[in-house]
Amino acid sequence: MKGSVIKYEQDNIDTDVILPGPYLKIHDYAELATHAMEGLDKDFHKRVKSGDFIVAGKNFGCGSSREHAPIALSYSGIRAVLALSFARIFYRNAVDGAFLLPIEIDDSAYKDISDSDSLEVDISKNEIKNLTKNKIYKIKPFPELIGKIIEAGGLFNYKP
Amino acid sequence: MSNTLFEKIWDSHIVVDEDGRSLLYVDRHLVHEVTSPQAFEGLRLNARKVRRPDLTFATMDHNVPTSDRSLPILDQTSSMQIKTLERNCKEFGITLFDINSPNQGIVHVIGPELGITLPGTTIVCGDSHTSTHGAFGALAFGIGTSDVEHVLATQCIMMEKPKTFEIKIQGKRKNPHAVTAKDIILSIIRKIGTAGGTGTVIEYRGEAISELTMEQRMTICNMSIEAGARAGLIAPDEKTYQYLNGLKYTPENYDECVNNWREHLKTDSGAKFDKSFTLSAENIVPQVSWGTNPAMTSDVTERVPFPDEYGRGNPEEEKGVTKALQYMDLKSGTPITDIIIDRVFIGSCTNARLEDLIEASKVVKGKKVLSRVRAMVVPGSQLVKKNAEMMGLDKIFKDAGFEWRESGCSMCLGMNPDILAKGERCASTSNRNFEGRQGSGGRTHLVSPVMAAAAAINGHFVDVRELDLN
Repeated sequence: MKGSVIKYEQDNIDTDVILPGPYLKIHDYAELATHAMEGLDKDFHKRVKSGDFIVAGKNFGCGSSREHAPIALSYSGIRAVLALSFARIFYRNAVDGAFLLPIEIDDSAYKDISDSDSLEVDISKNEIKNLTKNKIYKIKPFPELIGKIIEAGGLFNYKP
Repeated sequence: MSNTLFEKIWDSHIVVDEDGRSLLYVDRHLVHEVTSPQAFEGLRLNARKVRRPDLTFATMDHNVPTSDRSLPILDQTSSMQIKTLERNCKEFGITLFDINSPNQGIVHVIGPELGITLPGTTIVCGDSHTSTHGAFGALAFGIGTSDVEHVLATQCIMMEKPKTFEIKIQGKRKNPHAVTAKDIILSIIRKIGTAGGTGTVIEYRGEAISELTMEQRMTICNMSIEAGARAGLIAPDEKTYQYLNGLKYTPENYDECVNNWREHLKTDSGAKFDKSFTLSAENIVPQVSWGTNPAMTSDVTERVPFPDEYGRGNPEEEKGVTKALQYMDLKSGTPITDIIIDRVFIGSCTNARLEDLIEASKVVKGKKVLSRVRAMVVPGSQLVKKNAEMMGLDKIFKDAGFEWRESGCSMCLGMNPDILAKGERCASTSNRNFEGRQGSGGRTHLVSPVMAAAAAINGHFVDVRELDLN
């Protein structure tokens, strides 16, 4: 996966800013996507391109259980969120529907990656290549179950 | 072998356990209108049925209006979501407490009050505050819509086993009417942080937890998710068994159940937790959040912090506080009691049960809401509303100038017409002070029901320990 970075240098990016409550009534995923990140960044939907990555701090996706949050990001074009850590319901929702990859990075990668950097993410090698800075970062391997759900392409395709 | 309460409930629900995954049986599945439509649609597309409609209960709470229920719902998308749930429940044979049911209410309020929530059970719901049910010694997880569909189809949930986290609250609160369960849980989150419980199931223990009533315990477990935990638990005791006796769905062989629960549902002495944290109840005072996550909270006696003092050398924390204070339009150094509020919301699955309303009414009785403040009480369920009205609480609130509304999630998450206007500042008994949570540009301060009531009367925060609440 190759794409460029949209970086939010902050912790605790919650589901209410990823997809504000009033839009939970929307069932059309493309329309949902037009409101992604609206609580934090009104220009996100104008800026985001298919294949982009979000880079953020600790506890990304904290708050509500709304699967609308990873759905809105996914349908905006986001393929992976690279964060220092994730809230667990968001983490699980992201992979259950194969909406996006929640990838845990370490502090040095978080600090090193800049907004608009081009990255190549390879989960088979647990590696991120920063094509802009010509650097390689390690990513934290997925827990066993999560890795299997990702490999299967979502919870409903996963046949143990 | 010594086991924790969590391990006992977990082990007794395992269907399959291998390769880092556990398939757990689900005893109760609670469903609401917002996170279920796509799940039912998924069943339909794959020609699947609901595996155990008899263990599945639905209500509508998130986007229902809290105004006159005899009027049509003006918001067409809300109306559609409500109708969709009705249609889905009918088609799949699920018990629904609809908008006109005397049992309608916030899903986490009605589960316990109807006896659907039982000790030692596993409960899931497409809502993060499902942790509330842990107050009864039930293992209760909030899940997303894909998992909702999975549970509807299989009555099982696939999970990795969480770690165990003991939170011990020692001693007793000094003034239990002024220092509430809300103040205990906010104090905990403040100390361990919004990710302090990530990947764990918390068991709350200690004298200050045992002495809480069931409704107060629900307030504690409710906000476990605000510390990032998968669930919160409190071991059941005689208060639990008494509370659940004789409710609508209490099992017929209740005495037998209780005997079984008494014997099994406790953490064995000598059982090890993966993590522990201890707090003394004696030092807890009324709490007020000033920032944009629940850990950004202070004692009512404190001042709005300075970013460097709060961050203690951590630049990320400092930045977070600066940004939060900017959003909240607060100046560092301002006494918490000088913060002027515009709105008051007494409601939500955290604090809208009968005891919450009784306690708040003591502050309000015979007084008036300050004229520029708009204050509302949204009971957690129709049953709470009815019981409160039988006690005359509605009259106390209305006489003081509060709006007395129908039950639902209301202004906790701003999905129905009950929202803050841009820039409005609210003393709220809800659980999240995230940016825009109660309405775009709205500013939320999380407090207890008595603190919210006192703020309504005074127009700013006051230390409720100075009031006579007995």
